[in-house]
Amino acid sequence: MLNLLRWFVFSIAALAMNFPVIVTMITSFKSARELSFNPGFWIGEPTLENYTRVLGETDRFNIYSYLFNSTVASLIGTGLAIALAFPAAYAIARSEAGKRTLLPLIINLRAVPLIIFAIPLYMMYQWLGLLDTQLGLGLILTIVNTPLALVILVNAISDVPSELDEAAKMDGASSWQVMLMIIRPVVRPALVTTFIFGFITAWNEFLFGLMLTTSRAVPMTVGASFFFAASGGGVQWGTASAVMVLGALPPALLGLLMYRQISASLTTGAVKG
Amino acid sequence: MAIVNRAEGRAYLTPLVGFLLFFLGFPAAVNLVYSISTVSFETLRSPSLSGFGNYAAVLADHEFWGAVSFSMRFGVLTALAECLIGLFLAVFLTPLLAKRSYLMAPLMLPLMVAPAMIGLMYRLVLHEFAGPVPYYLFEWFGDSPAFLDVDNAFRTLLVVEILQWTPFAFLLFYMAYAAIPLEVREAASLDGASALKALWWIEVPLMLPTLVIAFFIRFIDGFRVFDNVYALTGSGAGGSTTSLSIYIYQAFFKGGAIGKAVAASVVLFLASLAVLYGLNWITGRGRR
Repeated sequence: MLNLLRWFVFSIAALAMNFPVIVTMITSFKSARELSFNPGFWIGEPTLENYTRVLGETDRFNIYSYLFNSTVASLIGTGLAIALAFPAAYAIARSEAGKRTLLPLIINLRAVPLIIFAIPLYMMYQWLGLLDTQLGLGLILTIVNTPLALVILVNAISDVPSELDEAAKMDGASSWQVMLMIIRPVVRPALVTTFIFGFITAWNEFLFGLMLTTSRAVPMTVGASFFFAASGGGVQWGTASAVMVLGALPPALLGLLMYRQISASLTTGAVKG
Repeated sequence: MAIVNRAEGRAYLTPLVGFLLFFLGFPAAVNLVYSISTVSFETLRSPSLSGFGNYAAVLADHEFWGAVSFSMRFGVLTALAECLIGLFLAVFLTPLLAKRSYLMAPLMLPLMVAPAMIGLMYRLVLHEFAGPVPYYLFEWFGDSPAFLDVDNAFRTLLVVEILQWTPFAFLLFYMAYAAIPLEVREAASLDGASALKALWWIEVPLMLPTLVIAFFIRFIDGFRVFDNVYALTGSGAGGSTTSLSIYIYQAFFKGGAIGKAVAASVVLFLASLAVLYGLNWITGRGRR
Protein backbone atom coordinates (compact mmCIF):
# COMPACT_ATOMS: atom_id res chain seq x y z
CA MET A 1 0.00 0.00 0.00
CA LEU A 2 2.74 2.43 1.00
CA ASN A 3 4.68 1.30 -2.03
CA LEU A 4 1.76 2.18 -4.27
CA LEU A 5 1.78 5.65 -2.77
CA ARG A 6 5.50 5.86 -3.51
CA TRP A 7 4.91 5.02 -7.16
CA PHE A 8 2.19 7.64 -7.24
CA VAL A 9 4.43 10.35 -5.75
CA PHE A 10 7.26 9.38 -8.08
CA SER A 11 5.00 9.64 -11.14
CA ILE A 12 3.62 13.01 -10.11
CA ALA A 13 7.10 14.37 -9.43
CA ALA A 14 8.54 13.05 -12.69
CA LEU A 15 5.60 14.40 -14.70
CA ALA A 16 5.58 17.82 -13.03
CA MET A 17 9.32 18.35 -13.32
CA ASN A 18 9.40 17.31 -16.95
CA PHE A 19 6.09 18.92 -17.83
CA PRO A 20 7.42 21.67 -20.14
CA VAL A 21 9.62 19.16 -21.98
CA ILE A 22 6.72 16.75 -22.46
CA VAL A 23 4.37 19.48 -23.71
CA THR A 24 7.03 20.74 -26.12
CA MET A 25 7.63 17.26 -27.51
CA ILE A 26 3.91 16.70 -28.03
CA THR A 27 3.49 20.08 -29.71
CA SER A 28 6.41 19.45 -32.04
CA PHE A 29 4.48 16.59 -33.67
CA LYS A 30 1.33 18.60 -34.34
CA SER A 31 0.55 20.40 -37.58
CA ALA A 32 -0.18 24.13 -37.45
CA ARG A 33 -3.78 23.34 -38.41
CA GLU A 34 -4.25 20.89 -35.56
CA LEU A 35 -2.65 23.26 -33.04
CA SER A 36 -5.25 25.91 -33.83
CA PHE A 37 -8.04 23.79 -32.32
CA ASN A 38 -6.20 21.25 -30.17
CA PRO A 39 -3.67 22.50 -27.59
CA GLY A 40 -4.31 19.40 -25.44
CA PHE A 41 -2.12 16.41 -24.62
CA TRP A 42 -3.19 14.06 -27.40
CA ILE A 43 -2.01 14.23 -30.99
CA GLY A 44 -4.74 13.75 -33.61
CA GLU A 45 -2.54 13.36 -36.68
CA PRO A 46 1.15 13.04 -35.82
CA THR A 47 3.34 14.78 -38.37
CA LEU A 48 7.01 15.46 -38.93
CA GLU A 49 6.37 18.64 -40.93
CA ASN A 50 7.74 20.88 -38.14
CA TYR A 51 11.04 19.02 -38.15
CA THR A 52 11.33 18.98 -41.92
CA ARG A 53 10.65 22.72 -41.99
CA VAL A 54 13.21 23.51 -39.28
CA LEU A 55 15.86 21.32 -40.89
CA GLY A 56 14.92 22.22 -44.48
CA GLU A 57 14.20 25.94 -44.53
CA THR A 58 17.33 27.63 -43.28
CA ASP A 59 17.24 30.94 -45.15
CA ARG A 60 15.99 32.97 -42.18
CA PHE A 61 17.08 31.03 -39.10
CA ASN A 62 19.75 28.43 -39.63
CA ILE A 63 19.52 25.82 -36.90
CA TYR A 64 22.61 24.02 -38.21
CA SER A 65 24.69 27.09 -37.53
CA TYR A 66 23.35 27.39 -33.95
CA LEU A 67 24.03 23.71 -33.29
CA PHE A 68 27.50 24.03 -34.81
CA ASN A 69 28.33 27.17 -32.81
CA SER A 70 27.19 25.56 -29.58
CA THR A 71 29.24 22.46 -30.33
CA VAL A 72 32.44 24.37 -31.11
CA ALA A 73 32.13 26.82 -28.22
CA SER A 74 31.26 24.02 -25.76
CA LEU A 75 34.20 21.90 -26.94
CA ILE A 76 36.58 24.84 -26.49
CA GLY A 77 35.04 25.71 -23.13
CA THR A 78 35.31 22.14 -21.86
CA GLY A 79 38.61 21.10 -23.40
CA LEU A 80 40.44 24.23 -22.32
CA ALA A 81 38.99 24.07 -18.80
CA ILE A 82 40.30 20.53 -18.41
CA ALA A 83 43.68 21.41 -19.95
CA LEU A 84 44.07 24.24 -17.44
CA ALA A 85 42.57 22.46 -14.43
CA PHE A 86 44.28 19.08 -14.75
CA PRO A 87 47.90 20.18 -14.13
CA ALA A 88 46.68 22.58 -11.44
CA ALA A 89 44.70 19.79 -9.79
CA TYR A 90 47.78 17.55 -9.90
CA ALA A 91 49.91 20.22 -8.23
CA ILE A 92 47.26 20.87 -5.59
CA ALA A 93 46.74 17.18 -4.83
CA ARG A 94 50.45 16.32 -4.70
CA SER A 95 52.03 19.37 -3.10
CA GLU A 96 51.10 22.20 -0.81
CA ALA A 97 50.98 24.65 -3.70
CA GLY A 98 47.67 26.41 -4.02
CA LYS A 99 45.86 24.38 -1.40
CA ARG A 100 45.44 27.18 1.11
CA THR A 101 44.26 30.09 -1.00
CA LEU A 102 43.93 29.24 -4.68
CA LEU A 103 41.65 26.21 -4.35
CA PRO A 104 39.09 27.86 -2.03
CA LEU A 105 39.22 31.01 -4.14
CA ILE A 106 38.42 29.17 -7.36
CA ILE A 107 35.78 27.01 -5.69
CA ASN A 108 34.05 30.14 -4.41
CA LEU A 109 34.08 31.49 -7.93
CA ARG A 110 31.17 29.16 -8.65
CA ALA A 111 29.01 31.20 -6.32
CA VAL A 112 29.94 34.57 -7.80
CA PRO A 113 27.36 35.76 -10.31
CA LEU A 114 29.41 36.00 -13.49
CA ILE A 115 27.24 38.83 -14.78
CA ILE A 116 29.30 41.21 -12.66
CA PHE A 117 32.21 40.59 -15.04
CA ALA A 118 30.02 40.76 -18.12
CA ILE A 119 30.28 44.47 -18.86
CA PRO A 120 34.09 44.76 -18.74
CA LEU A 121 34.34 41.49 -20.65
CA TYR A 122 32.08 42.92 -23.33
CA MET A 123 34.35 45.95 -23.70
CA MET A 124 37.47 43.80 -23.59
CA TYR A 125 36.05 41.60 -26.34
CA GLN A 126 35.31 44.66 -28.40
CA TRP A 127 38.97 45.70 -28.25
CA LEU A 128 40.23 42.18 -28.89
CA GLY A 129 37.82 41.52 -31.74
CA LEU A 130 36.37 38.50 -29.93
CA LEU A 131 32.76 39.67 -30.01
CA ASP A 132 30.50 37.31 -31.96
CA THR A 133 33.15 34.59 -32.31
CA GLN A 134 33.01 30.95 -31.25
CA LEU A 135 36.44 31.30 -29.65
CA GLY A 136 35.31 34.27 -27.56
CA LEU A 137 32.28 32.40 -26.29
CA GLY A 138 34.38 29.29 -25.68
CA LEU A 139 36.83 31.26 -23.52
CA ILE A 140 34.00 32.48 -21.28
CA LEU A 141 32.60 28.96 -21.03
CA THR A 142 36.06 27.89 -19.87
CA ILE A 143 35.69 30.21 -16.90
CA VAL A 144 32.25 28.80 -16.18
CA ASN A 145 33.59 25.24 -16.22
CA THR A 146 36.92 25.67 -14.44
CA PRO A 147 35.79 25.59 -10.77
CA LEU A 148 33.87 22.32 -10.94
CA ALA A 149 36.54 20.73 -13.14
CA LEU A 150 39.17 21.63 -10.56
CA VAL A 151 37.16 20.25 -7.63
CA ILE A 152 36.36 16.97 -9.36
CA LEU A 153 39.95 16.45 -10.54
CA VAL A 154 41.57 17.40 -7.22
CA ASN A 155 39.32 14.88 -5.47
CA ALA A 156 40.00 12.19 -8.06
CA ILE A 157 43.79 12.63 -7.96
CA SER A 158 43.82 12.77 -4.15
CA ASP A 159 42.13 9.36 -4.13
CA VAL A 160 45.03 7.84 -6.08
CA PRO A 161 47.66 6.50 -3.66
CA SER A 162 50.82 8.61 -3.97
CA GLU A 163 52.96 5.44 -3.78
CA LEU A 164 52.14 5.11 -7.47
CA ASP A 165 53.82 8.46 -8.21
CA GLU A 166 56.75 7.64 -5.97
CA ALA A 167 57.38 4.32 -7.67
CA ALA A 168 57.39 5.98 -11.07
CA LYS A 169 59.73 8.71 -9.85
CA MET A 170 62.10 6.02 -8.49
CA ASP A 171 62.24 4.69 -12.03
CA GLY A 172 63.38 8.12 -13.16
CA ALA A 173 60.18 9.67 -14.49
CA SER A 174 59.75 13.43 -14.18
CA SER A 175 56.65 14.74 -12.44
CA TRP A 176 55.34 15.88 -15.83
CA GLN A 177 55.67 12.33 -17.13
CA VAL A 178 54.06 10.91 -14.00
CA MET A 179 51.13 13.25 -14.42
CA LEU A 180 50.55 12.42 -18.07
CA MET A 181 51.50 8.74 -18.24
CA ILE A 182 50.52 7.43 -14.79
CA ILE A 183 47.86 9.69 -13.28
CA ARG A 184 45.96 10.60 -16.43
CA PRO A 185 44.99 7.00 -17.30
CA VAL A 186 44.09 6.26 -13.68
CA VAL A 187 41.72 9.22 -13.32
CA ARG A 188 40.31 8.78 -16.81
CA PRO A 189 36.73 8.21 -15.52
CA ALA A 190 36.88 11.51 -13.65
CA LEU A 191 38.17 13.25 -16.78
CA VAL A 192 35.31 11.82 -18.82
CA THR A 193 32.72 12.91 -16.25
CA THR A 194 34.25 16.36 -16.08
CA PHE A 195 34.08 16.58 -19.84
CA ILE A 196 30.46 15.45 -20.10
CA PHE A 197 29.36 17.67 -17.25
CA GLY A 198 31.26 20.65 -18.60
CA PHE A 199 29.87 20.11 -22.08
CA ILE A 200 26.29 20.09 -20.77
CA THR A 201 26.90 23.21 -18.67
CA ALA A 202 28.50 25.00 -21.60
CA TRP A 203 25.77 24.00 -24.03
CA ASN A 204 23.09 25.28 -21.68
CA GLU A 205 24.72 28.64 -20.95
CA PHE A 206 22.62 31.58 -22.07
CA LEU A 207 23.68 34.94 -20.59
CA PHE A 208 27.06 35.28 -22.30
CA GLY A 209 25.72 33.86 -25.53
CA LEU A 210 23.11 36.58 -25.45
CA MET A 211 25.57 39.37 -24.68
CA LEU A 212 28.64 38.41 -26.68
CA THR A 213 27.16 37.08 -29.91
CA THR A 214 24.89 38.68 -32.46
CA SER A 215 24.88 36.64 -35.67
CA ARG A 216 27.88 34.52 -36.67
CA ALA A 217 28.50 32.75 -33.34
CA VAL A 218 24.98 32.58 -31.88
CA PRO A 219 24.63 29.41 -29.76
CA MET A 220 21.57 27.16 -29.65
CA THR A 221 20.05 28.56 -26.45
CA VAL A 222 20.00 32.07 -27.92
CA GLY A 223 19.08 30.91 -31.43
CA ALA A 224 16.03 29.08 -30.05
CA SER A 225 14.66 32.36 -28.71
CA PHE A 226 14.75 33.84 -32.24
CA PHE A 227 11.96 31.45 -33.23
CA PHE A 228 9.80 33.02 -30.53
CA ALA A 229 10.19 36.55 -31.80
CA ALA A 230 6.70 36.93 -33.18
CA SER A 231 6.80 38.05 -36.78
CA GLY A 232 3.74 38.62 -38.93
CA GLY A 233 1.45 35.75 -38.04
CA GLY A 234 2.75 35.33 -34.49
CA VAL A 235 4.85 32.50 -33.11
CA GLN A 236 4.81 29.25 -35.09
CA TRP A 237 4.44 27.01 -32.04
CA GLY A 238 5.01 23.76 -33.88
CA THR A 239 8.24 24.96 -35.47
CA ALA A 240 9.46 26.55 -32.26
CA SER A 241 8.79 23.30 -30.40
CA ALA A 242 10.75 21.26 -32.92
CA VAL A 243 13.66 23.71 -32.55
CA MET A 244 13.65 23.31 -28.79
CA VAL A 245 13.49 19.54 -28.92
CA LEU A 246 16.47 19.48 -31.31
CA GLY A 247 18.37 22.06 -29.25
CA ALA A 248 17.81 20.32 -25.93
CA LEU A 249 18.57 16.86 -27.29
CA PRO A 250 22.41 16.79 -27.23
CA PRO A 251 22.84 17.66 -23.54
CA ALA A 252 19.83 15.57 -22.53
CA LEU A 253 21.14 12.49 -24.34
CA LEU A 254 24.62 12.93 -22.87
CA GLY A 255 23.09 13.42 -19.45
CA LEU A 256 20.83 10.39 -19.62
CA LEU A 257 23.69 8.26 -20.86
CA MET A 258 25.89 9.29 -17.97
CA TYR A 259 23.43 10.12 -15.21
CA ARG A 260 25.09 7.83 -12.66
CA GLN A 261 28.52 9.43 -13.01
CA ILE A 262 26.98 12.88 -13.15
CA SER A 263 25.00 12.46 -9.96
CA ALA A 264 28.15 11.25 -8.19
CA SER A 265 30.29 14.16 -9.34
CA LEU A 266 27.54 16.69 -8.76
CA THR A 267 27.48 15.60 -5.15
CA THR A 268 31.27 15.65 -4.87
CA GLY A 269 31.37 19.10 -6.39
CA ALA A 270 28.75 20.47 -4.07
CA VAL A 271 29.65 18.83 -0.79
CA LYS A 272 33.42 18.57 -0.88
CA GLY A 273 33.69 21.95 -2.53
CA MET B 1 60.86 13.22 -1.49
CA ALA B 2 58.14 15.54 -2.64
CA ILE B 3 56.40 14.28 -5.74
CA VAL B 4 55.87 17.78 -7.03
CA ASN B 5 58.40 20.33 -5.82
CA ARG B 6 57.66 24.00 -5.29
CA ALA B 7 58.86 25.24 -8.64
CA GLU B 8 56.99 22.52 -10.51
CA GLY B 9 53.86 23.16 -8.50
CA ARG B 10 53.99 26.81 -9.41
CA ALA B 11 54.52 25.98 -13.06
CA TYR B 12 51.49 23.69 -13.09
CA LEU B 13 49.31 26.35 -11.52
CA THR B 14 50.48 29.23 -13.67
CA PRO B 15 48.36 28.67 -16.80
CA LEU B 16 45.15 28.46 -14.78
CA VAL B 17 46.01 31.46 -12.61
CA GLY B 18 47.07 33.51 -15.62
CA PHE B 19 43.90 32.69 -17.48
CA LEU B 20 41.70 33.63 -14.56
CA LEU B 21 43.62 36.83 -13.89
CA PHE B 22 43.22 37.89 -17.49
CA PHE B 23 39.54 37.04 -17.80
CA LEU B 24 38.36 37.90 -14.28
CA GLY B 25 41.01 39.96 -12.54
CA PHE B 26 41.29 42.52 -15.30
CA PRO B 27 37.49 42.92 -15.66
CA ALA B 28 37.21 43.28 -11.90
CA ALA B 29 39.72 46.13 -11.99
CA VAL B 30 37.87 47.75 -14.90
CA ASN B 31 34.64 47.45 -12.89
CA LEU B 32 36.18 49.30 -9.96
CA VAL B 33 37.55 52.12 -12.13
CA TYR B 34 34.40 52.56 -14.18
CA SER B 35 32.16 52.47 -11.14
CA ILE B 36 33.75 55.71 -9.92
CA SER B 37 33.94 57.34 -13.35
CA THR B 38 31.75 59.21 -15.74
CA VAL B 39 31.69 56.97 -18.76
CA SER B 40 29.57 56.37 -21.84
CA PHE B 41 29.94 54.28 -24.98
CA GLU B 42 31.72 57.27 -26.60
CA THR B 43 34.33 57.67 -23.85
CA LEU B 44 35.02 54.01 -23.07
CA ARG B 45 38.78 54.36 -23.21
CA SER B 46 39.05 57.63 -21.34
CA PRO B 47 36.76 57.44 -18.33
CA SER B 48 37.08 60.50 -16.12
CA LEU B 49 37.09 59.84 -12.40
CA SER B 50 34.09 61.36 -10.70
CA GLY B 51 33.86 59.88 -7.23
CA PHE B 52 30.97 57.86 -5.95
CA GLY B 53 28.19 59.42 -8.00
CA ASN B 54 27.35 56.12 -9.73
CA TYR B 55 26.94 54.34 -6.42
CA ALA B 56 24.77 57.16 -5.13
CA ALA B 57 22.64 56.95 -8.28
CA VAL B 58 22.26 53.19 -7.95
CA LEU B 59 21.46 53.28 -4.26
CA ALA B 60 18.87 56.02 -4.85
CA ASP B 61 17.26 54.13 -7.73
CA HIS B 62 14.04 52.51 -6.57
CA GLU B 63 14.23 50.09 -9.51
CA PHE B 64 17.52 48.83 -8.11
CA TRP B 65 15.92 48.15 -4.75
CA GLY B 66 12.98 46.54 -6.50
CA ALA B 67 15.43 44.22 -8.25
CA VAL B 68 17.23 43.48 -4.98
CA SER B 69 13.92 42.66 -3.36
CA PHE B 70 12.87 40.45 -6.27
CA SER B 71 16.17 38.53 -6.21
CA MET B 72 16.12 38.17 -2.44
CA ARG B 73 12.54 36.88 -2.27
CA PHE B 74 13.09 34.68 -5.30
CA GLY B 75 16.30 33.19 -3.90
CA VAL B 76 14.94 32.48 -0.42
CA LEU B 77 11.56 31.10 -1.50
CA THR B 78 12.88 28.84 -4.28
CA ALA B 79 15.75 27.51 -2.17
CA LEU B 80 13.41 26.78 0.72
CA ALA B 81 10.81 25.03 -1.44
CA GLU B 82 13.42 23.08 -3.38
CA CYS B 83 15.08 21.83 -0.21
CA LEU B 84 11.82 20.86 1.49
CA ILE B 85 10.37 19.05 -1.54
CA GLY B 86 13.77 17.55 -2.35
CA LEU B 87 14.17 16.23 1.18
CA PHE B 88 10.69 14.76 1.19
CA LEU B 89 11.23 13.05 -2.17
CA ALA B 90 14.65 11.72 -1.16
CA VAL B 91 13.39 10.17 2.08
CA PHE B 92 10.05 8.96 0.74
CA LEU B 93 11.26 7.55 -2.56
CA THR B 94 14.50 5.92 -1.38
CA PRO B 95 12.91 2.45 -0.90
CA LEU B 96 11.62 2.70 -4.47
CA LEU B 97 14.80 4.05 -6.07
CA ALA B 98 17.37 1.99 -4.16
CA LYS B 99 16.55 -1.12 -6.19
CA ARG B 100 15.68 0.64 -9.46
CA SER B 101 18.34 3.21 -10.19
CA TYR B 102 16.99 3.78 -13.73
CA LEU B 103 14.11 5.68 -12.11
CA MET B 104 16.65 8.41 -11.31
CA ALA B 105 16.94 9.31 -14.99
CA PRO B 106 13.55 11.05 -15.38
CA LEU B 107 14.11 12.88 -12.10
CA MET B 108 17.44 14.20 -13.33
CA LEU B 109 16.38 15.16 -16.84
CA PRO B 110 15.31 18.73 -15.89
CA LEU B 111 18.90 19.42 -14.79
CA MET B 112 20.14 18.68 -18.31
CA VAL B 113 17.88 21.17 -20.07
CA ALA B 114 19.01 24.78 -20.41
CA PRO B 115 17.07 27.07 -18.04
CA ALA B 116 16.65 29.48 -20.94
CA MET B 117 15.00 26.70 -22.98
CA ILE B 118 12.75 25.81 -20.05
CA GLY B 119 11.71 29.46 -19.92
CA LEU B 120 10.87 29.39 -23.62
CA MET B 121 8.97 26.12 -23.22
CA TYR B 122 6.76 27.68 -20.57
CA ARG B 123 5.85 30.42 -23.03
CA LEU B 124 4.19 27.63 -24.98
CA VAL B 125 2.82 25.78 -21.94
CA LEU B 126 1.15 28.91 -20.57
CA HIS B 127 0.13 30.55 -23.85
CA GLU B 128 -3.56 31.44 -23.84
CA PHE B 129 -4.31 29.82 -27.19
CA ALA B 130 -1.58 27.27 -27.85
CA GLY B 131 -0.80 26.24 -24.26
CA PRO B 132 -2.34 23.14 -22.69
CA VAL B 133 -2.52 24.61 -19.17
CA PRO B 134 -4.91 27.48 -19.96
CA TYR B 135 -6.76 25.16 -22.36
CA TYR B 136 -7.52 22.56 -19.69
CA LEU B 137 -8.25 25.15 -17.03
CA PHE B 138 -10.85 26.67 -19.35
CA GLU B 139 -12.18 23.24 -20.20
CA TRP B 140 -12.55 22.17 -16.57
CA PHE B 141 -13.16 25.39 -14.64
CA GLY B 142 -14.26 27.84 -17.31
CA ASP B 143 -11.50 30.27 -16.40
CA SER B 144 -7.72 30.57 -16.46
CA PRO B 145 -5.54 33.16 -14.73
CA ALA B 146 -3.13 35.31 -16.72
CA PHE B 147 -0.01 33.56 -15.52
CA LEU B 148 2.43 36.21 -16.66
CA ASP B 149 0.69 39.48 -15.70
CA VAL B 150 1.90 41.79 -12.93
CA ASP B 151 0.05 39.95 -10.16
CA ASN B 152 0.97 36.39 -11.06
CA ALA B 153 4.33 36.54 -12.85
CA PHE B 154 6.36 36.24 -9.65
CA ARG B 155 4.48 33.16 -8.49
CA THR B 156 4.65 31.59 -11.94
CA LEU B 157 8.41 32.10 -12.07
CA LEU B 158 8.78 30.59 -8.60
CA VAL B 159 7.03 27.44 -9.77
CA VAL B 160 9.11 27.30 -12.97
CA GLU B 161 12.37 27.58 -11.04
CA ILE B 162 11.32 25.17 -8.29
CA LEU B 163 10.19 22.48 -10.71
CA GLN B 164 13.46 22.61 -12.60
CA TRP B 165 15.86 22.70 -9.66
CA THR B 166 14.20 20.56 -6.99
CA PRO B 167 15.98 17.59 -8.63
CA PHE B 168 19.31 19.15 -7.65
CA ALA B 169 18.39 19.31 -3.97
CA PHE B 170 16.75 15.89 -4.21
CA LEU B 171 19.91 14.39 -5.65
CA LEU B 172 22.16 15.76 -2.91
CA PHE B 173 19.79 14.58 -0.19
CA TYR B 174 19.32 11.19 -1.80
CA MET B 175 23.09 10.64 -1.74
CA ALA B 176 23.42 11.94 1.82
CA TYR B 177 20.51 9.79 2.97
CA ALA B 178 22.02 6.70 1.38
CA ALA B 179 25.35 7.46 3.07
CA ILE B 180 23.90 7.15 6.58
CA PRO B 181 25.43 3.93 7.99
CA LEU B 182 23.07 1.00 8.39
CA GLU B 183 24.17 0.51 12.01
CA VAL B 184 22.84 3.94 12.93
CA ARG B 185 19.40 3.01 11.61
CA GLU B 186 19.44 -0.40 13.26
CA ALA B 187 20.47 1.05 16.59
CA ALA B 188 17.63 3.57 16.39
CA SER B 189 15.01 0.94 15.62
CA LEU B 190 16.38 -1.39 18.33
CA ASP B 191 15.92 1.43 20.81
CA GLY B 192 12.32 1.59 19.74
CA ALA B 193 12.41 4.82 17.74
CA SER B 194 9.61 5.09 15.22
CA ALA B 195 10.58 5.80 11.61
CA LEU B 196 9.39 9.38 11.94
CA LYS B 197 11.31 9.94 15.17
CA ALA B 198 14.44 8.41 13.72
CA LEU B 199 14.11 10.71 10.73
CA TRP B 200 13.69 13.86 12.76
CA TRP B 201 16.16 13.17 15.58
CA ILE B 202 18.83 11.12 13.85
CA GLU B 203 18.76 11.20 10.08
CA VAL B 204 17.97 14.87 9.45
CA PRO B 205 20.70 16.03 11.89
CA LEU B 206 23.16 13.73 10.13
CA MET B 207 22.19 15.29 6.80
CA LEU B 208 22.29 18.83 8.15
CA PRO B 209 25.60 19.87 6.48
CA THR B 210 24.21 18.78 3.10
CA LEU B 211 20.95 20.61 3.79
CA VAL B 212 22.80 23.83 4.58
CA ILE B 213 25.03 23.56 1.51
CA ALA B 214 22.11 22.75 -0.79
CA PHE B 215 20.14 25.69 0.56
CA PHE B 216 23.00 28.10 -0.02
CA ILE B 217 23.78 26.82 -3.50
CA ARG B 218 20.15 27.09 -4.49
CA PHE B 219 19.80 30.49 -2.82
CA ILE B 220 22.78 31.90 -4.71
CA ASP B 221 21.50 30.48 -8.00
CA GLY B 222 18.03 31.83 -7.33
CA PHE B 223 19.35 35.21 -6.31
CA ARG B 224 21.33 35.69 -9.50
CA VAL B 225 18.58 34.22 -11.71
CA PHE B 226 18.62 35.41 -15.30
CA ASP B 227 18.06 32.81 -18.03
CA ASN B 228 14.57 31.45 -17.41
CA VAL B 229 13.16 34.77 -16.22
CA TYR B 230 14.60 36.62 -19.19
CA ALA B 231 13.31 33.99 -21.63
CA LEU B 232 9.83 33.82 -20.11
CA THR B 233 8.91 37.34 -19.05
CA GLY B 234 11.93 39.59 -19.63
CA SER B 235 11.74 42.33 -17.04
CA GLY B 236 8.01 41.68 -16.83
CA ALA B 237 5.01 43.98 -16.89
CA GLY B 238 6.07 47.25 -15.26
CA GLY B 239 9.45 45.76 -14.34
CA SER B 240 7.72 43.34 -11.97
CA THR B 241 10.17 40.52 -12.70
CA THR B 242 13.43 42.44 -12.84
CA SER B 243 16.01 40.36 -10.99
CA LEU B 244 19.31 41.97 -10.08
CA SER B 245 21.01 40.28 -13.04
CA ILE B 246 18.33 41.55 -15.40
CA TYR B 247 18.66 45.03 -13.88
CA ILE B 248 22.39 45.09 -14.65
CA TYR B 249 21.87 43.69 -18.13
CA GLN B 250 19.24 46.26 -19.00
CA ALA B 251 21.06 49.21 -17.47
CA PHE B 252 23.99 48.37 -19.74
CA PHE B 253 22.42 47.15 -22.99
CA LYS B 254 19.12 48.97 -23.05
CA GLY B 255 19.90 52.10 -21.05
CA GLY B 256 23.58 52.60 -21.92
CA ALA B 257 24.05 53.58 -18.27
CA ILE B 258 27.47 51.98 -18.00
CA GLY B 259 28.50 53.64 -14.77
CA LYS B 260 25.29 52.63 -13.06
CA ALA B 261 25.39 49.06 -14.37
CA VAL B 262 28.99 48.68 -13.24
CA ALA B 263 28.29 50.14 -9.80
CA ALA B 264 25.38 47.72 -9.41
CA SER B 265 27.77 44.91 -10.40
CA VAL B 266 30.19 45.89 -7.65
CA VAL B 267 27.35 46.00 -5.13
CA LEU B 268 26.26 42.53 -6.25
CA PHE B 269 29.85 41.32 -6.00
CA LEU B 270 30.16 42.57 -2.41
CA ALA B 271 26.82 40.97 -1.53
CA SER B 272 27.88 37.61 -2.94
CA LEU B 273 31.16 37.84 -1.04
CA ALA B 274 29.19 38.38 2.16
CA VAL B 275 27.03 35.32 1.46
CA LEU B 276 30.11 33.23 0.65
CA TYR B 277 31.82 34.36 3.81
CA GLY B 278 28.74 33.34 5.78
CA LEU B 279 28.61 29.95 4.08
CA ASN B 280 32.30 29.23 4.63
CA TRP B 281 31.95 30.28 8.24
CA ILE B 282 29.01 27.95 8.81
CA THR B 283 30.50 24.92 7.05
CA GLY B 284 33.91 25.60 8.58
CA ARG B 285 32.36 25.55 12.02
CA GLY B 286 30.47 22.37 11.20
CA ARG B 287 33.66 20.58 10.21
CA ARG B 288 35.58 21.47 13.33
